Parts: sequence; C-alpha cells; structure tokens
Amino acid sequence: MNVYGERTFAAPRATVWQVLNDPEAMAKTMPGVESFDIHDDRRWTANVKIPLGLGGLKMKVDMEKIEEREPEFARLSVKGNGVGAMMNMETSFTLSDAAEGGTAMAWSADVKIAGPVGSMGQRVLQPIVNQQVQHVLTALDAQVQEALRQ
Amino acid sequence: MTRASETTLAPAPVEVQKGWGGQSVPRKEDKRLLQGEGVFVDDVKRHGMGYLHFVRSPYAHAHITRIDVSAAEAIDGVYGTLTGEEVAALTEPFFQISSVPGANIKDYSLAVGKVRYVGEPVVAVVAETRELARDASELVEVDYEPLAAVVDARRAQDSDTPVLHDDAGGNLMWSGLYSWGDLDAAFAEADRVVKIPELHFHRFNSTPLECDGALVEYNRGVGQWTIHTNNQFPGFAAIMMGPAMQVGLDKLRFVTQDIGGGFGNKITSHPQLVVCCLLARKLNRPVQWTEWRTDFHLSMSHGNERWFHDTEVAVKDDGTLLGFRTKALDDAGAWLRYEPLGGVIWAQVTPGMYRWRHIELDFTQVATNKAPVSPNRGYSRMQHLWFTERVIDIVARELDLDPVEVRKRNYIRAEDMPYETPNGCVYDSGDYAGMLDLALELIDYTSIPGRRADAKERGKLLGVGIGSTLDSGTNNFGQSRLINPELQFSGNNEVATVKLDIFGEIVVTLGTTPQGQGHETTAAQVVADILSCSVDDVHVRAGHDSYWNSHAGFSGTYASQFAVTGLSAVKGATEMLAAEIKKLAGAVFGGVPADALELADGGVRIKDTHDAFLPFMACGAIINANNAGLPEDLDVTLNCRYVYRPPFEVPDVETKMGNLTLTYATQIHVAVVEIDPETGAYEIVDYAAVDDCGKRINPQIVEGQVMGATAQAIGAAIHEVYEYDEDGNLLTPNFYDYHVPHSLDMPPLATGATESPSPFTPLGTKGMGEGGGAGIHAICAAIQDATGAIVTDSHNPYQRVWRLVQEVQA
Repeated sequence: MNVYGERTFAAPRATVWQVLNDPEAMAKTMPGVESFDIHDDRRWTANVKIPLGLGGLKMKVDMEKIEEREPEFARLSVKGNGVGAMMNMETSFTLSDAAEGGTAMAWSADVKIAGPVGSMGQRVLQPIVNQQVQHVLTALDAQVQEALRQ
Repeated sequence: MTRASETTLAPAPVEVQKGWGGQSVPRKEDKRLLQGEGVFVDDVKRHGMGYLHFVRSPYAHAHITRIDVSAAEAIDGVYGTLTGEEVAALTEPFFQISSVPGANIKDYSLAVGKVRYVGEPVVAVVAETRELARDASELVEVDYEPLAAVVDARRAQDSDTPVLHDDAGGNLMWSGLYSWGDLDAAFAEADRVVKIPELHFHRFNSTPLECDGALVEYNRGVGQWTIHTNNQFPGFAAIMMGPAMQVGLDKLRFVTQDIGGGFGNKITSHPQLVVCCLLARKLNRPVQWTEWRTDFHLSMSHGNERWFHDTEVAVKDDGTLLGFRTKALDDAGAWLRYEPLGGVIWAQVTPGMYRWRHIELDFTQVATNKAPVSPNRGYSRMQHLWFTERVIDIVARELDLDPVEVRKRNYIRAEDMPYETPNGCVYDSGDYAGMLDLALELIDYTSIPGRRADAKERGKLLGVGIGSTLDSGTNNFGQSRLINPELQFSGNNEVATVKLDIFGEIVVTLGTTPQGQGHETTAAQVVADILSCSVDDVHVRAGHDSYWNSHAGFSGTYASQFAVTGLSAVKGATEMLAAEIKKLAGAVFGGVPADALELADGGVRIKDTHDAFLPFMACGAIINANNAGLPEDLDVTLNCRYVYRPPFEVPDVETKMGNLTLTYATQIHVAVVEIDPETGAYEIVDYAAVDDCGKRINPQIVEGQVMGATAQAIGAAIHEVYEYDEDGNLLTPNFYDYHVPHSLDMPPLATGATESPSPFTPLGTKGMGEGGGAGIHAICAAIQDATGAIVTDSHNPYQRVWRLVQEVQA
C-alpha cells in the first residue's frame, strides 16, 4: 500500500528537521504509543497499541533511519510485529522552503501488512491508514509549534 | 435409453420387493447422522491426548532467519513443538509426481528455511487444550526476511520475477504439448477462424462442513501409527507418507468413520498427517489436530486457476467445429501436492461433448506464492470443459448462430457411442442432444422470447445459457505417465469383502472413505439383489479401516468412481459368497449341484421343487461353528474378498493416446438469468439440470448429487473466489468475504434424468459426483446472452457484470 502527501508547517526548515529527527518528539506524534526506547541516534523502538478491532492491536515497532541529507531528506525503515499482524514500511520525507513561507514536507510511505490483519485487504486498511496519517500530521504540527515556542 | 423427468424434491416411494437397484431406498447412514450420532474425526478422543496448533506464515514469500519456541514450551500445559528443521532431519522430502523441473523441488511437512505462501505451516505446537495450543503458538518467535512475491501466474516466468524453488531453477513446474489430428488441415478447411485472446478460470474451492483433522496414536511397541483422519484418499496419503517417514505402509493404519464432505480437497492433507505422526512419537502421546476454518481457506488446497491464451478455433460457416489450438497456463500455487496431474486429467475430456477431431493444447504449470492447489470437485476437467463450452458460445456469437443449434450440430451423437476421442479415450454411452431437449423443456424454452420482452419492459435483461459436464469417472492411473514416464502407476482397483457370519448376518466391508455419498445404502442394494434378501439384512460397516484388509492401492472416495469400482467390488464379492452358499447347501442337501439351487427369502433352496431350504443363519452357523463332518474338499469360508480391476491399458507416452478413464456421466444445465443493468445485480430466475449417469442404483442419491453440483456452480460463478493482493495476502480467508451459497441463494431448480447404461461396467453404472462445471458455464452463457458482451471469466460477481453492461452500452 503506497500512501503519500504534502504538508506545510509555519516554521523554519531547521525546526521541522529537528522535530522529525527527535525520537521523543516523534513518539508524541504516533497514536497509541505505550512506551518508547531510544537505542542510538538512528534506531529506536516503540510499543504501540493501534486502535484496530476489539482491544486494539498491540505491536512492537522498530525504526531505523537508513538515509539522511540534512536538512532536506531522510528515509526510515519501520518494522512492526504483533499478534495477527506484521508491518514493514519504508517511509521518507523531503523538506523544502515553502513559497508562501514556512517549510513544505513531501512524504511517502510504502506499507506492507502481513498476517490476518493483512488479509483484511486494502479496502479495509486504507481508510484506517489514512486516518492515522492525519493524526500523525496534526500531532507533528503541534510538536513543531511547541519547538518554536521553546 | 430410458428417460424420466423429475421436477419434485419428494423422494420416490420405496417398494419393498426384489430389485433393490433403481429404488430410492432411504439412506442407511441418515439415522445416525440426523440424530447427531455420527462419528467424525473431531469426535475421537484419547486419554492424555494433546491438541495441535500450527504457527503459520504471515508472509507470501520470505526467508526464515530464526525460530525460537522456548517461550511457548515454557508454558504449563504445553507438551511440545515441532519445527521445520526437525522435520528435515526426521523425514525425506515428499515424493514428487512431476518430471523435471517440478521433480526437483523439496517439499516437507513444515516450512524449511523459507515460506512460500500466507498460511504455510511453520511450527506445530501441542498443548493440553486446543485454546492453550493456540495461545502458546503466539509465543513462538519467528523472524522473517520478506521477499517479493509472485501472485500472477502470467508473470511467473518473467526474468525479473522472484523464484519460489531454487531447486527447480525457475517457476516453471511442468509443461507438455498435446497434439492430435491434423491441425493444419483443419484450419485449411475452415471457413472461419475464431480467435479468443484470453479466457480465465478463477481460483476457488469447495467447502466441506467439516474441516480437515486427525487424531494420531503411536504404538511404540510395534512402531505403528493409527491415524484417525478424514483424509479421503488413504491409498494416496500412504504412498506419500511412507517413503517420507521411511516406514513401510503396514506402519500406517488409517481409520475413518464419517466425513463431513471432501470434494477432493481432503486428498492432500498428508503433510499435516506427517506432523501429527512425528509429534505423537516425539511426545509419546496421542495428538489431535482439527483445522480452523480460516486455516482451511488460507492453506488447504485450492482449485486450479487456469488461463487459456491465444485460442484459435477452426469452424465452417454453418457452425461445424473442426478443431482448436490453445495454450493453457495453470497456477499450481506454492507446492505440487497432487500436481501436476491436473496437466493430464483434463485430457480425459479433450473434445468436451463435441466431434471436432483436431486439437492442440500446450499446457504449462507454474508455481506462485499462493496456497497449493489439488483436486476440487470436477478437478481439471471442469476448467477444460468450461473452456470448450465458452468456445461454443463465443463461436455461435461470432457466426450469429443459435447456441442450441451449434451444440446439436456438433454434439457426439447417441448412435456414435461408444465414441473414441481424438486422444483415444472412449465415451461409453449417452444422448447429449436428447438431454439438452429435456433440459430446455424443463425451463419451458419456447417461452423465452416472451419472458425476455417482459423483462425488458421491467428494465431488466434476460438471458439463457447452457453448460455441460462430462463427469469422467474411474481413472486409469496410467495417465500419470504422460506427466512423468518414470512413474510406475497404471489402472485402478477397489476392494470389498462380504461375509456370512455365525448368526447369518451379511456383513459388507468397503475400501472406500465416503463423505456423504451413501455408500452403505447403495452397497446394501447391490448385495440384497444378488442374495435375494432385504437391504435391512445387509450390514455395511461404516467407514474405512486399513486393518480390515479391504483396501487396495487406490482405495478411497474420489474422482467419481464408487458406483463403478466400489459397487463392482461389492458385486464381485457378493457373487463369490452366493456361489459358496450354493456349494455349501449342495453338500448339506446331499450332493445337489449348484445350478439346481437358488437364493431366495434369506436362504438357499432347491430351485424347482423348493423341497429343501437352508436359511443364511444355518449356513453361517454350519461353516463357523458346526463344521464337523463337512467334506474335506469343501473350500467354503463364506468370507469373500474381491478386488475389482477395470479393464485398462497403459497409455502411449509418445502419442499421449489411451483410455484415461472408464465412464462418462453427463450433466446438462440450463440457467435463465435476469440482470439489472443499473447495478449488474442478477438473479437466476429459472434453472434445470439433467443428469445421465447410466444405471442409477439410488435415484434420490443421484439427484442429491445433482443439486449439490448446482449449488457448487452457483457459488463459484457468482460468489466464491480466492482473491490475493499484490503481496500475496489472501483477501477472502473467511465466510465474511468468501460467500458459500445457502438455501436462499438457490434458484427454482428442476431436475431431470436419462439413463444410458455403461456397456463397460458390471452394473451399467457410472460415477457421477462432479457435475458442477455445467452450471458455472450455464451462468456465464446466460450473462453473455443477456448483455451481449463476451464473457471471458468463469467468475462473474455483480460488479463484473455491471462492467460488461457498460462495455456494451459504450
């Protein structure tokens, strides 16, 4: 499943870059994060509870930054394991100065979900993924604004 | 030929008299089944048994980099686990039917090093309860390194496509060119060549009420496993399991009582049975496995998906068919569990119902990252017959001819029977044109123009379609040599024993594994007719047990053959018993010759005078318990075993000619559909199915098979499909997405029957369990008739029909 989009933040590119590369700030953008462990500046792990089905889907998610060109581009590999689902995602974002001021972020993600949850198929999962993406982007905006205030 | 039209669901009245064959005797099995007293595999319990649950692959294609079962094994109540590494150490890969390259693949009962489809068993966990086994399996840690998957068979041989089996060097499993007659001459003679770029027969399965299962015990003292299972072809399972487990077949005892449906997909459970056997030995306790429904959908064998590419049909302007050439591409899924036999089974019905003599079919089978395929009711012939029927209707449309007339012009005629096909098969009997007339009569074909106009007024599109099945039964296993000349299989066989016990009980033992076909009933009818007694006096043992000495290499219930192989074995054994009873009575009566005696009223008597009568009870008692003084040379045991062996020769592997099967039952279905062009939704408003299976032993059982085949067809044509996404996830793994038709989905159904006894079988019978393909095509043809669009797929849900309507309107 490929998802992609663009978002503009009312903040300088350095601030947005800083938030996107701060695991603790990013943890606050992700839905259902129950715990978060930072291994080093390129690898971190989150235990999340995705609001899917009765009781939610618990998943251990390992993230690794596999490419970066500061302050414009980064690519991450995300692998999740949970009962009933396994997720493999490669995501990247590109930052640029927005024409009307602020920072533009073009992002994309190739999400592969295996296991029984994967069998629900794109027609079921796509709306859920879209909803979660919107939550992340809104929360990211909030983190960027908070970083500006600091 | 006799002919009868039956349009009622009520059973025919039972006449209690001699001549049990041909009567709809109430089924002996039904009392226990309807009272919930059947014994299915999940009913078998043993002290201390453990429940097995499979950890299955979530990926369609991935390397296994690590397996850790320690967390699962640490749980109280978990008895143990089995991994692919252990399986590879303890067993050999399963024997492969295929020649190279498919012969080179290494297939074990659990994934070893790599997974190749979603749902593939990776680890087995055994625990005190079923629920605990399932929970503990979630603690098994398996690390995967995902690989790209191939899910479209048409891309399987592309250079950039991932390879499933490195040992095979690619995804090609088997290929073979079949060519009979003179194609060049046929196309030179043709007025027209009709070209059909692509036809597609979709992937689906039949749905038994009971999923697969087993309870396996290991007798450590004698090194033997007792396998209580609902596997429907123990003869095949044994020859797969024995060499893999490196044990003789006497160490594998198969036991079955009742089976809740089989349809062919219960033939290939041997990998799971091996896992049960290994764990029963490892854990020294009985192991029970019952497949979950979703696991059945994900993992148990699917029906073959097949494409027909670049078809060319040579025809005359009047609709006379001369020949065709096509390329068949078959999707085997991840493993060859019964394949590539589908690559030859279709050839049993090479010309379909028609007289064309020049045929070329280039068959290719490839592996994909999907569940393995195996026989599914109508196995391989269904795909091919759907193709031939589709060709007929497309040709009729291209030539602007009536599909009824094209069929009648080209049908093999009753007077041509027995008819030798271009590849040497022999159709035994039948009157296809007469059956079509009866089917059309049942749907009141003459009223169709008026009904079409009426539907149009209501904004609906009405269409009529015809479909046919040749239900070839009683395989000649020699056809496997056309796949792999090295194979040492040919012919067929089945066994029955019939004995007279001490109190005169007539006891029959079968080698078959019935799954609802009523074998106990029809066997009793055959026995009762020969022994001149009541069916109530005949006791047919329920189920199968290889300890009974009434099984042979091909024993089982599959491929439309019981009415021939099973009942012929019963007939042979009963005739032996009848001869022994007469021999015994002759001695008891003081030297009366056998031809002066007759069986009657539950005993044997002197034919003309009726002066002396010896009841069966006395016969049984004399031989078994009161035999002093009998002549020394009286070789009578009243315990008779007979092996029926059909008259087959080994097919010619060079010309691919030979008689591949013994009988050809026929079904012709006609469907009338009404389509809402706004939505594509359609309803089957009228339906007729006419069957000819030769001599019918029990017409009501035959009619039940016809109705079941119709339901199978409707499910496949409209609802049932195994859809995979591009990553190899099965999107229809449960009844929410995989809709099996229920009673409310069934249309008004009229059934009819004709009887053309087979000249090749002892009872004139033909096997007849697999008629569903006729209905799949009838619905396709009706949609084509209603919409005017060429139907190229066997599966036509409402959205596809809507698109067809849009295409025509555009």
